[in-house]
Amino acid sequence: MIGRRIELRAIPEPAVLADGRALGNAMLRQLFIGQCLILALHLAWMPLWLIALAAAVAGHRYLQLCGRLPRAGLVLRLTAVAGLLAALWLEYGILYGMQGLIGLLIGVYLLKLLETHDRRDARVVVLIGMVATASAFLHDQGIPMAVGALLMLGWQVQSLVRLAGAGSAASAWRETAWLLGLSAPLMVALFVGVPRLGPLWAMPQLDRASTGLTDEIAPGDIAALSRSDARAFRARFRGREPTVSERYWRVYTLTHFDGVRWSRVTPQALSATLARPLADFMREGRRSPWQDENDPPRFTAELLLEPDSRPWRPSLGTPLATDSRQRYLADGTLEGRAPLSSRTLLTVESSGQAPAHADPAGAAFHAMLPPRGNPRTRELAERLWRESGGDTRVYLGRVMARFGEAPFRYTLSPPRLGSRDRVDEFLFESRAGYCTHYASAAAVMARAVGIPARIVAGFLGGERHPDGHFTVRDYDAHAWVEVWLEGGWQRLDPTAAIAPERIEQGPQAVRDGRERFLADAPFSPLRLRELGWANPLRLAWERLEYRWQRGVIGYQRGARGELLARLANGWQAVRAWLVEVASGRGLAASLLGLMNIAAGTVAAAWLGRRMWRRWRLDRDARAQLLALQAWLERRGLESLPGESPASHLRRLAPRAGAAGPALEDCAHHAERLLYAPLDEAERRQRHRQLAVRVAEVQRRLRRRRA
Amino acid sequence: MSRSKARTEAHAGTDAAPGKRLRRRLFRRLTAPMARPLPQRRLFLLPTRFGLGWMVLVVVLLLFGINYQNSLAYGLAFWLFALGAVALLRGWRNLLGVKMTLRLPREVFAGGEARLGVILEASRPRTALEVHGAAAMASVDLPDGRGETVLALPAPRRGRQRLPMLRLQSRWPLGLVRVVAWLETAETLWVYPQPLELEAAHYRQAGQGREESDFAGLRRAVPGDSPTRLAWKQWSRTGVLAAKTFQAPPRQQLWLDYATCRGDLERRLSVLCARVLAHHRAGDRFGLRLPGLTLPQGEGASQRRAALDALARFPPSDAIRQGLPT
Repeated sequence: MIGRRIELRAIPEPAVLADGRALGNAMLRQLFIGQCLILALHLAWMPLWLIALAAAVAGHRYLQLCGRLPRAGLVLRLTAVAGLLAALWLEYGILYGMQGLIGLLIGVYLLKLLETHDRRDARVVVLIGMVATASAFLHDQGIPMAVGALLMLGWQVQSLVRLAGAGSAASAWRETAWLLGLSAPLMVALFVGVPRLGPLWAMPQLDRASTGLTDEIAPGDIAALSRSDARAFRARFRGREPTVSERYWRVYTLTHFDGVRWSRVTPQALSATLARPLADFMREGRRSPWQDENDPPRFTAELLLEPDSRPWRPSLGTPLATDSRQRYLADGTLEGRAPLSSRTLLTVESSGQAPAHADPAGAAFHAMLPPRGNPRTRELAERLWRESGGDTRVYLGRVMARFGEAPFRYTLSPPRLGSRDRVDEFLFESRAGYCTHYASAAAVMARAVGIPARIVAGFLGGERHPDGHFTVRDYDAHAWVEVWLEGGWQRLDPTAAIAPERIEQGPQAVRDGRERFLADAPFSPLRLRELGWANPLRLAWERLEYRWQRGVIGYQRGARGELLARLANGWQAVRAWLVEVASGRGLAASLLGLMNIAAGTVAAAWLGRRMWRRWRLDRDARAQLLALQAWLERRGLESLPGESPASHLRRLAPRAGAAGPALEDCAHHAERLLYAPLDEAERRQRHRQLAVRVAEVQRRLRRRRA
Repeated sequence: MSRSKARTEAHAGTDAAPGKRLRRRLFRRLTAPMARPLPQRRLFLLPTRFGLGWMVLVVVLLLFGINYQNSLAYGLAFWLFALGAVALLRGWRNLLGVKMTLRLPREVFAGGEARLGVILEASRPRTALEVHGAAAMASVDLPDGRGETVLALPAPRRGRQRLPMLRLQSRWPLGLVRVVAWLETAETLWVYPQPLELEAAHYRQAGQGREESDFAGLRRAVPGDSPTRLAWKQWSRTGVLAAKTFQAPPRQQLWLDYATCRGDLERRLSVLCARVLAHHRAGDRFGLRLPGLTLPQGEGASQRRAALDALARFPPSDAIRQGLPT
């Protein structure tokens, strides 16, 4: 009894039942596990009720396999699809958005199990699974996702091997390992070598505005500063790295003030309102058309940008040149030609300073204020202007000095400002706020006396990693002011006056009584900063992540050209080394020599193998005879069924002409060697004679044929 | 004698249609020989429907990678492509060098099936090989380089039956491509007529009346002789222990005659076949008279085989009409 049970367990469950079509229990389980793996890749970004869907489908299929439920009919399947569509519509309110489409794909993939009955269905399930996996790459392309996708690939390939008829799970896994192992180098070669194209047509994109940057700020509306630790971008500098106080990443300029909020005026809007061509405000290219060509760039940064549905591109100061075509805006900022759907590398050369060129919109445009509102601010501005004797520099210095005095304080959770004259309310009543409050007030003060001024939204700072790259996060978002002064824009950062530690140490320096830093991210790994032993681990992981994102995910056109150039350089070095080694004899000679050595090795291996076979053949009279018979058969002189080798040769002998006696001898020697009791000396002699005779037969017959 | 000559002789009469001959000539170029390792040039790679689907999937993923500038999608597309290429190679290696030999069924009766033994040998283990021939299919693994399976071929008619062209194929390892080799053999099957029992009671049952009952003499007894067979009287008289020997009664001696059967040719042969089998079972001595052929009386397995062979090789009706009287 026990023995039988063990035997039963040893028999592997077949993937396909005995009728050769229907899938067995084991195969369905395989497919279901594959579905779970793919669902797991998506789960962090997709609604959780998909798990319930997967469980329901698997349960139905299981009951059906047990015979307790009939096959899912057309009505049930259509109902399930309709239910899926309804659920997605409830979830997203729209079906043809990217999220909805991905949800639809996963849902259909899960439901497909209902009508998976034979081998072909199972293969279709695997194919859909691959597409579903690729759609998970839209969410994220980090290392965890890649590892998950690798697991998925292994599992799906193993499923296919099982379907193709692997006897057991062990043999299926062995074959899978062979397949993946052998194809990996080819995959790497293709990944590196295949030219990359730009997008061929527009696809629906995932909607995400992840960074804390906005193109509109209304100080005092809410304390809506993003305090999330999401990564905005990463940067690595070639050449000099900026010091702490130089890390001002410009992204947008906000030029329009309506009394409450500052907003960005896009080049398109500018061109429409001022009735001037768009090229006056924005041009595409690889170099900035606004800056002087001879201006040497101070910083060259390689940016690794996170995907965002807005096309913003940061630059340290004014952008001068980029490694790909970008839109250069007249306000000295940069914009991409399309939103980023995945992480992308971009190299930007920049000046590190505010732009030196005038904005084509004109000085008056940058000094506009609403005709009424904020009367106390205007009054204060006029008083300070008078006191400074009409000197712009002195005036601005006084404004800054005023911010630096108590009772102004820097806080990330300022009181709300509700009145119409918000700048008045901030300057004379609440006197607490963060960068946008101060920037807004400073810009209004400047404009009130006719100095052109604008607010710049961007990032300040970034965390420097030990390996030299910087990570800029959402909480690094910052706003400051640029004023037109003596033929150029000048940066004016009121926050530096009120909270210099914000500039020097970053936002984590601001405590404000309660722990406001990272308030929106209670489980952020950045909290590990406090733990001594964990911080190196965090940094190591981030470094690995950065390398992965930069080297693999950012491997697009530019990176490919660079890598191929490096490979070409390597080849040049090898060639140079060869020339050096073969000095005097020239490159061609050394190459020829190498090729000779290679060819010689191959030929020697081939000859050795042949001789070894020959030697083995000679040792065995039977093998020698069989070889002769096979040779004869190739020439159409095959043996009859049931004929012994010797009688075969003897039968051929009379018709073989000159080869006849040799054939007779072969037969004789062979018979003696095979059947007669010979002493060692005679055996050796007959062996030799047999070999000679066989060669003779071949020689003579060949000559006869020819 | 050369191989090709043998084949043309064998088929000159049967394959007269030019189209068929052309196809046969074409196939001769494609077929691999039996009983020798499959050579490279006789292995063919054909994509399956799933393989075409896989190609479409690779293109879709590549477009996905291009349009979303997504490196992992690029990577997945390249990996699937590479997997396809490696699967092609491994599938080809799975079939390369496999040696097929056939074990012909000992006897086949018309209307039944010919259970053709297929023996596959190779130097390495092979997986998921399929043998197809004339709507029959058998699959076999060669876990340690050797495997055997049985192909149940239909045998509808009496007489000589060419073995169909056998197709050895494999979809291993991913089902993307079908590696195919066609194998042909010159061997033929002789299909015996379908036995047609007329009246069951007409024959003696097996062994009936075959008990040894006629006294045939004495012999020296040996240990192990049944006590009932010992000649106790002789022992008491002579003091020598002897055993009685008996003989079976003489067998029925008969002739199975084509002329005494009724019906058309195939029906007569079927009846004769059934009688050959029945008389062999009964242990009779029988001879066979067919038009133009007489098998002398005999008994035992060899006689049965000779008679069945004669019935199988008896020319078909159209040949008879030309020369022989019915």
